[in-house]
Amino acid sequence: MVVTEKELTLNARAQELLRKLLLVWLDFERSLGKIPILRRLEQGRFTADDYKTLLLNLRPQVIEGSRWITRAASSFTSEFAELRSKVIGHAYDEHRDYQMLESDFVAVGGELKNIRSAPRNIGTEALASFLMQQASLPNPVDLLGAMFIIEGLGQKMAQGWAQKIQQALGVSADATKFLSYHGLNDSEHLAKLHSILDSDAVTNETAPRILKTAKVVARLYLLQLEELDNV
Amino acid sequence: MAEAYIVGTGSYLPGPPIGNDQIEDVLGFVEEKSSRLKSRILKSNGIRSRHYALDRKQRSTHQNSELASMAAENCLMRLGFDRKKIDMLAVASTQGDLPLPGMASMVQAQMNLPPCEILTTHGVCSAGMMALKSGVNQVRLAEKKNVLVVASELASRLLKRSRYEAASQTVLDLEAEFLRWMLSDGSGALLVQSEPAASGLSLKVEWIEIISFASDFDLCMSCGTADQSLWSTLAPEKEPELSLAAVGARQAERTVLQKRSHENGERSWQDYATYAEAEAAGALLIRQNLRILDNIVKVGVDGFLRLIQAGKISADEVDHFVCHYSSHYFRGKILELFKMCGCLIPEEKWFTNLYTKGNTGCASAFIALDELFWSGRLQTGQVIFCVVPESGRFTTAYMKLTVV
Repeated sequence: MVVTEKELTLNARAQELLRKLLLVWLDFERSLGKIPILRRLEQGRFTADDYKTLLLNLRPQVIEGSRWITRAASSFTSEFAELRSKVIGHAYDEHRDYQMLESDFVAVGGELKNIRSAPRNIGTEALASFLMQQASLPNPVDLLGAMFIIEGLGQKMAQGWAQKIQQALGVSADATKFLSYHGLNDSEHLAKLHSILDSDAVTNETAPRILKTAKVVARLYLLQLEELDNV
Repeated sequence: MAEAYIVGTGSYLPGPPIGNDQIEDVLGFVEEKSSRLKSRILKSNGIRSRHYALDRKQRSTHQNSELASMAAENCLMRLGFDRKKIDMLAVASTQGDLPLPGMASMVQAQMNLPPCEILTTHGVCSAGMMALKSGVNQVRLAEKKNVLVVASELASRLLKRSRYEAASQTVLDLEAEFLRWMLSDGSGALLVQSEPAASGLSLKVEWIEIISFASDFDLCMSCGTADQSLWSTLAPEKEPELSLAAVGARQAERTVLQKRSHENGERSWQDYATYAEAEAAGALLIRQNLRILDNIVKVGVDGFLRLIQAGKISADEVDHFVCHYSSHYFRGKILELFKMCGCLIPEEKWFTNLYTKGNTGCASAFIALDELFWSGRLQTGQVIFCVVPESGRFTTAYMKLTVV
């Protein structure tokens, strides 16, 4: 990951958590490299159909994403007001992301009605259900772990994927708006996340839960990519 | 369990230092033309000079076993150590002079060592640490008292112009050319004993850890295949109808010969009917898969984080950080990740001689340790943390030393 923001000096507890989260992330990243559709992208064998499949399978999760984040915001009590406003801001930033995704789908020859009617695959089902469940619990601080993985994906992977898709399909950035947007903006989000890790929200009690949720989300995100079109 | 100490070091670099503008005078101009990629790669790796065991007509000036012996002799001479006492010789190299026997046999003979146990480790950059770990463990188990560990590389024989001209490629592809501007020759040696030296400094080996991630990645650096992707074990689905077309698209510059090798199932250089065919197909060129090379930093940091978690090391205790980064390019990447996870080792503690001694593969870490050992910079009680990443198929070796 690239540290683009001003250098952050985290307290010792936050640093320890961050190191553990990074290990989860690095394991997740290696596992992503084994997913067939991403291997094809890596090897330059990615087709327009692959891209359409990917977008079709990502859209439900993106829509669910803004739902669980807003749900999480409403589950924070006033003692977590600072965290709550950050989460609300984040939800606002992303709640219309799916429109970019739909426009990318159309740009490579997909039909809008097809992507809009695509059901969740079984991995998305598991991921969305887990996140909504956690978001419904009081003060779901553990979802910082979920954001670490999902935002990391945007910041670390999306821009590279967007470029490889452009190369493989011979399309312009206009057809990869969703991935490109995340590649450009999620580093800012991730820096915010780091500052949250430094906050009072991270305690000896919450740190293990944050870590565990990061692991579950990483595993379920992989499942979503492994189970493309399995609805 | 007994302890193990590095009581002395030595190194050898063949020939004069060769500056960036002289590289092709030694390795030769492929097809009489200067490389177009050279300056870009050299700018990125930051190396300013290196050594080659080749003369300007690309004739070998040394054998690899001779380079190894020179470093070992240098180590013994500095210590005034009687070679008759050596009871184990461990030798590491990416490629010995002969496919067989093991290189340690050749080095033992070259040095005229008495009968002793030998070990040859073969790999890429981490092979030296593998040999060292084995030697250290033998000392700890009290099976051996004086173990000589040598790491030596003679890469330039793979990099001379005739190698590239023999591979019938219309264009020299980046994957095969990259290492031509990265690697060079040299050797390093360490003497390991169960007691610290009677006089002068010794380095107590606290631990050595080696972690490989081979099953998570494709081949990244290799010699012996025309197409590294043929060794992928990752893709769960085979798409035979795609593979040839894809090979064509991805490696448009490769020749018909190579495509034929796919059809004939020739994966290893040893699968070809003749070695001449293997060479013509480009199977004997040393290759680096640049698409996945950046993962080297990630797996290196992954292992570092594991060691921190296991309580084996902390960034704060390190006085000298000896990291065999193969290229200046990676230095920045490592720093970024260190900062990110709050385990930054300040840059003034980094020790490297990459820029003047070159990237000598598995010998690099020993050559750096040798310079540090005799530099006068070491003080009793200081901690040296040594990291040796290998891109072959993603291995990293870590070592903690205490100056005693």
